[in-house]
Amino acid sequence: MSYKLPDDKDLEAMVGIVGKEYATNNKAITASYLAKSVMGLESQIPDIVVRPKYVEEIRKILIYCSAEKIAVSPVSAGLSGGFACPTIKPAGVLLDLSRMNRIIEIDTENRYAVVEPGVTIGELWAYMHKNTPDWAPPIPDGAPPASTVMGDAIDRGFSLYTSSVGPQGDNFMCGEIVFPNGDIVRTGSWALPFAKPFYKYGLGPDIWSTIMGSQGALGVVTKVAVKIFPHPPYKTVIVIGMSNPYDMQDLTLEIGKQEFGIAHNTVMVQGGNYPLVMARWPKDKVPHDYEFFKELGISKWWMNWECWAQTQEELDYVTNRINKMAEDFKKNRAKDPDAVKPQELHPKQIASRLKKPNKIAIPYSFWEAGFLFITWYTPWNECAHFAENYCATMEKYGFPPVMWIASIERCRQAICMPIICFDSTKQSDYEKVQDMNRETTEYNLKQGWLNYRPDPYIHAPLTYSQAGMYWKYLRMVKKMFDPNMIMHPGRLALP
Amino acid sequence: MAKTGMERLQELKKEIFKCIHCKACKFAYSGEPDREGIGEYAGKQGTVLYEGMVDACPAGIEYGWEAFWNAGKIWIARSILTGDLEFTEEVRDVIMPCITCGQCSAQCDNKIPTVDIIESLRAACIESGVPMIEKHELVDRLVKELNNPYGGKAEERFKWAKDAGLGKYVDNKDAKIAYYVGCTASYRQIEVAITTAKLFELLGMNFTIIGDEVCCGSPFFRIGAVDTAQELMNKNLEAFKNVKMLYFSCAGCYRTFTIDYPKWMPEGEELPFKTQHAFELVARLIQQEKIKFKPNKELKGKVVTYHDPCHTGRHFAVDMEQDMIRESKNLLIDSRKIKEKIEEWYEVPRIILRKLAEDVGIVFKEMYRIKLDSMCCGAGGGVRAGYPEFSLRTASLRCDEANAVGADILTTECPFCWRNLSDANDMYNHGMKVMGILQMITEYNLLDMAEKPKEDDFLTPSIRDIE
Ligand SMILES: Cc1cc2nc3c(=O)[nH]c(=O)nc-3n(C[C@H](O)[C@H](O)[C@H](O)COP(=O)(O)OP(=O)(O)OC[C@H]3O[C@@H](n4cnc5c(N)ncnc54)[C@H](O)[C@@H]3O)c2cc1C
Ligand code: SF4
Ligand code: SF4
Repeated sequence: MSYKLPDDKDLEAMVGIVGKEYATNNKAITASYLAKSVMGLESQIPDIVVRPKYVEEIRKILIYCSAEKIAVSPVSAGLSGGFACPTIKPAGVLLDLSRMNRIIEIDTENRYAVVEPGVTIGELWAYMHKNTPDWAPPIPDGAPPASTVMGDAIDRGFSLYTSSVGPQGDNFMCGEIVFPNGDIVRTGSWALPFAKPFYKYGLGPDIWSTIMGSQGALGVVTKVAVKIFPHPPYKTVIVIGMSNPYDMQDLTLEIGKQEFGIAHNTVMVQGGNYPLVMARWPKDKVPHDYEFFKELGISKWWMNWECWAQTQEELDYVTNRINKMAEDFKKNRAKDPDAVKPQELHPKQIASRLKKPNKIAIPYSFWEAGFLFITWYTPWNECAHFAENYCATMEKYGFPPVMWIASIERCRQAICMPIICFDSTKQSDYEKVQDMNRETTEYNLKQGWLNYRPDPYIHAPLTYSQAGMYWKYLRMVKKMFDPNMIMHPGRLALP
Repeated sequence: MAKTGMERLQELKKEIFKCIHCKACKFAYSGEPDREGIGEYAGKQGTVLYEGMVDACPAGIEYGWEAFWNAGKIWIARSILTGDLEFTEEVRDVIMPCITCGQCSAQCDNKIPTVDIIESLRAACIESGVPMIEKHELVDRLVKELNNPYGGKAEERFKWAKDAGLGKYVDNKDAKIAYYVGCTASYRQIEVAITTAKLFELLGMNFTIIGDEVCCGSPFFRIGAVDTAQELMNKNLEAFKNVKMLYFSCAGCYRTFTIDYPKWMPEGEELPFKTQHAFELVARLIQQEKIKFKPNKELKGKVVTYHDPCHTGRHFAVDMEQDMIRESKNLLIDSRKIKEKIEEWYEVPRIILRKLAEDVGIVFKEMYRIKLDSMCCGAGGGVRAGYPEFSLRTASLRCDEANAVGADILTTECPFCWRNLSDANDMYNHGMKVMGILQMITEYNLLDMAEKPKEDDFLTPSIRDIE
């Protein structure tokens, strides 16, 4: 595929659409959008940045770029790091959608919110906290407040309700998409001009689902309707510690499988190992030895159940059931029963865990200089195997074995996220990260595990090579929506 | 050997490469989207919701593009280091309009010293041959000729002292304690110089004002003219070499002597004197119950708020934090101590304001953004000289915040903040009085001495220097 390197005439065309304050090829400004971290390490500086405000402007930009074969990478807030940047050269146009930042509607009866791409999770959370305090949006708990609801939708992220209500992708009901030919498509019930976004699977086969996970490679989403959920007053966090990932997996599954009346109340079920605490501090300024963490009351592995309920009675019921099941598990089925124990939390610790959104996942750069989230989905009852193997591989490559695991839909799936903390000033570290990534990807694919937000250099090609027929149809979908292949080319290894 | 900006930037490489572009540094209270506040307020610069996280990078607010927010600049720095970007006037024009307020570094959980990076980037940019912006060139020329950026004559630097009957303190040879006045208080806000010196006199301090004092170099460290800044630094180090304790009334000068000088001095050398701001002394004497205040009818019931100057607030807080991080062997354990130390530091001016509330009857009301999350006044980083309209709009945004709590008096402890806030207050009709806290104490004759302080009290080090 070859793309046009945008020139002054192309910039003029962009200026003609959005005005001169909102389109530029100033090198300092284009370089400022760069990121090589968090999700992706390879990225390019865009040639032009455009900041549209209206859907009509996006339509004109896409029609123009499609005709001229100029690559377009859409970005809501750009917090996905390298994934939000162009992946190829010439890098083309980066569409910075942050000026489209209206919260259009909150409907607490039909339980949805409609937002534009630039609405951050911090803004939506704060807005609802103030105006509809009994309701909350499914924001990614660990993502920084400046990330957006839209970016998370397109990523099919993991939110604070995912453990209870199901995959984050299912929380997005309907969308409005501008395709490169300038068509504006509204999906689900929204396909009808006057319909509310109350039903996702509207008219026959569902187009919206192809957009979820598309990472900007099919079209630009300009509005999204996201489900909102109760935000009840009674909340707490239970933490059970253990010595190994298998006990963590098995106890969590027992609780998740209850489903009614208990697992539905556990909105966030997530845990990990002690390096998750350790690697938030500089490598040379924190003990690496587990004994130190033991003294702080931190188990080698643990699971958090964040419980929400409408009444204190209901909350007590849920917490008592979980504690009772943990006791029972310890007595009868745990591999290492002595290590299974509740971790007492100070009320301040509980309050800090309940805080949404938060900055908890930001400081992994503090360990050295840079980090990468590499995320996988496994069936829940295989997450311990995943963790054991991945941690050993991280150690083999000299990285701290930092592992975070959460339940999706009451332990139907696990989202497993090793955090690779490394020194991004060293080329040799980059190479080690990529070697480790390749080795683990090959192993994981053999187990039938799926990469989530696949990177275009390792995960996507290795995965597609094993899913040829799916890949064939994915390319056909891409061709149908984006015949000139201008949308975020290279991302997801498309084209 | 003096360091170059590029060398500093290289030294900071690992810090620069820590940035994950998470954009937390755009906001005050970046981790608290549902923080309670005072609600929406329609001010002279538009409506701001003083609740939750609030956009707080003045450069980003003014110019909008990613490059002007801190994260954008950090990635520009990275691109320079990796050779993906070269210094040009385009680069200069996005890195210069930044107030170096440090709001961004206070928000960063990776503890990236953003101001240090931005200043080194500017220094490296100027060294690379990119010309300074015209207004910065002008102040650079002036300071080289006259040792101050205002174009004031050297012999008139301490005219205020003579006119106010304080001339005996100029080159008072037997004093171990000196007052570094600074250019703004010497040539512009002389009321700050007069009230500070008078206060010292009232307290019975034997101090000197050194006739060879020159500009501290703050603006030049900030705008990247580090050669100029280092020349000024060397002159001051020579002038003050026999002093034990150096007092300041200007937040910028205080920061420059205390934080910049050691960084740019030859490896292994230390400042020959201790430093502190005059308000630290007043707060200490209040705590020791050596001074209190007299009631005042005119001030009674007046709503007074306080603007934390970035140079005494965040810059010191971040510097203390960086020092403690460097020294810590176990940061997980020490992090609480760091938080406590920073909190203690921010309380210092508030000790005085609370005492004024208790004794004088002022009503002390905090603005929404305070302490580490305080919003900048817009004056620093070479912005007041280089980009005056942006600078004043930022000051007016801060005045809006003071108006939002119904302040009659907006206090601060820096003549440079005072100047900018005061100009914005007049220009945009915010209707408040802007003044320094120490200025309030002397102008309203509030000081009530319970016990005369001794020389040791004046030589007691700043709480910054106490482990
Ligand atoms: C420290 C940290 C912690 C995180 N923790 C979590 C977590 O707990 N759970 C979770 O789910 N996520 C997490 N994330 C990821 C983050 O939530 C998502 O990356 C974020 O919500 C994406 O929002 P964004 O606006 O920054 O997306 P962007 O980075 O702007 O975009 C993400 C992708 O979608 C595409 N895209 C963006 N907007 C559009 C659009 N309007 N139309 C078409 N394509 C578009 C982009 O091209 C890109 O490929 C974390 C990220 C960080 C940095
Ligand atoms: S400087 Fe810190 S807070 Fe700002 S984007 Fe970088 S990592 Fe995030
Ligand atoms: S120092 Fe202040 S003005 Fe400069 S980037 Fe940081 S927050 Fe913005």
